[in-house]
Amino acid sequence: MKLRAIWEFVAGDSLWGPIALVLAIGAVAALQRTGFPTAAMLAFPLIIGAGLAASVFERAEHASRVS
Amino acid sequence: MNGVLNEWVLFGTAFLASAVEAVEALTIVLAVGVTRSWNVALRGTALALIVLATIVAVFGPLLRTIPLGTLQLVIGIFLVLFGLSWLRKAILRYSGRKALRDENAAYDREARAFDGMSGRNADRLAFATAFNAVLLEGLEVVVIVVTFGAASTSALASATLGALAAIVVVAIAGVLLRRPAARVPENLMKFIVGLMLTSLGTYWAGEGLSLQWWRQDSSIILLIAFYTLLSGTIILRARRTTQALAR
Repeated sequence: MKLRAIWEFVAGDSLWGPIALVLAIGAVAALQRTGFPTAAMLAFPLIIGAGLAASVFERAEHASRVS
Repeated sequence: MNGVLNEWVLFGTAFLASAVEAVEALTIVLAVGVTRSWNVALRGTALALIVLATIVAVFGPLLRTIPLGTLQLVIGIFLVLFGLSWLRKAILRYSGRKALRDENAAYDREARAFDGMSGRNADRLAFATAFNAVLLEGLEVVVIVVTFGAASTSALASATLGALAAIVVVAIAGVLLRRPAARVPENLMKFIVGLMLTSLGTYWAGEGLSLQWWRQDSSIILLIAFYTLLSGTIILRARRTTQALAR
């Protein structure tokens, strides 16, 4: 099985989800180190959620450009 | 991960995920059974189920040898990626950006593949079709069950029971109906599974990162509520965009 096929099996065909997840993990690490655990707890799902929104509207944007 | 709540969440998520995939696999197995041979279709299905059960039996307990913090983070990342992918597809379907899956069309497509074929080659193709369908559709469920099972033995049991219960329900429905389960609200089920996987994944990845969740396990409910609200908002907004483009 090709690596790309495995990746798409896990993460689908949008990069926004994985990008958001990496950013969310980075933000949590930074906020925890600087002493903001509550902000870290709130930022984590918010950034992941932003990735979800971006992945949906990426498709909408693409469709509008095609049409 | 502890608590009766979590066990039910795992059971429910595995049940729904398994039901969705089982409905899709059932469509293909039915097409093979009706148009070619029930013997071949059931043999292909049985072999695929044995392979899937072996994967769960081997990898389920094996994952628990990894240190808990690392495991929670890796599992969490995996579940979030998986969940976002399911959720995105369901949202795109709800907002009219992606066509809803049509089980009747899928059934016709598979059935047509055997038109005019006869003999051993047709049997081999029929076996391979049933085997591949069950294996590929089941693989996603296996990944979910194994990932859940990494948390504890009881979590593995809950997730496995949920998946098995769904397979039994869908199989009984298939035997009774003898046609594709086209009326199953597949997108709603995918939407719920996406929500659950993303919420559980966020919680576990957070645990792996040593996040101090508010009220510990109860945060899962808040995460489900947050992602439901967010997804609803995205659907409404995306629908408006779709309608504007259609004009």
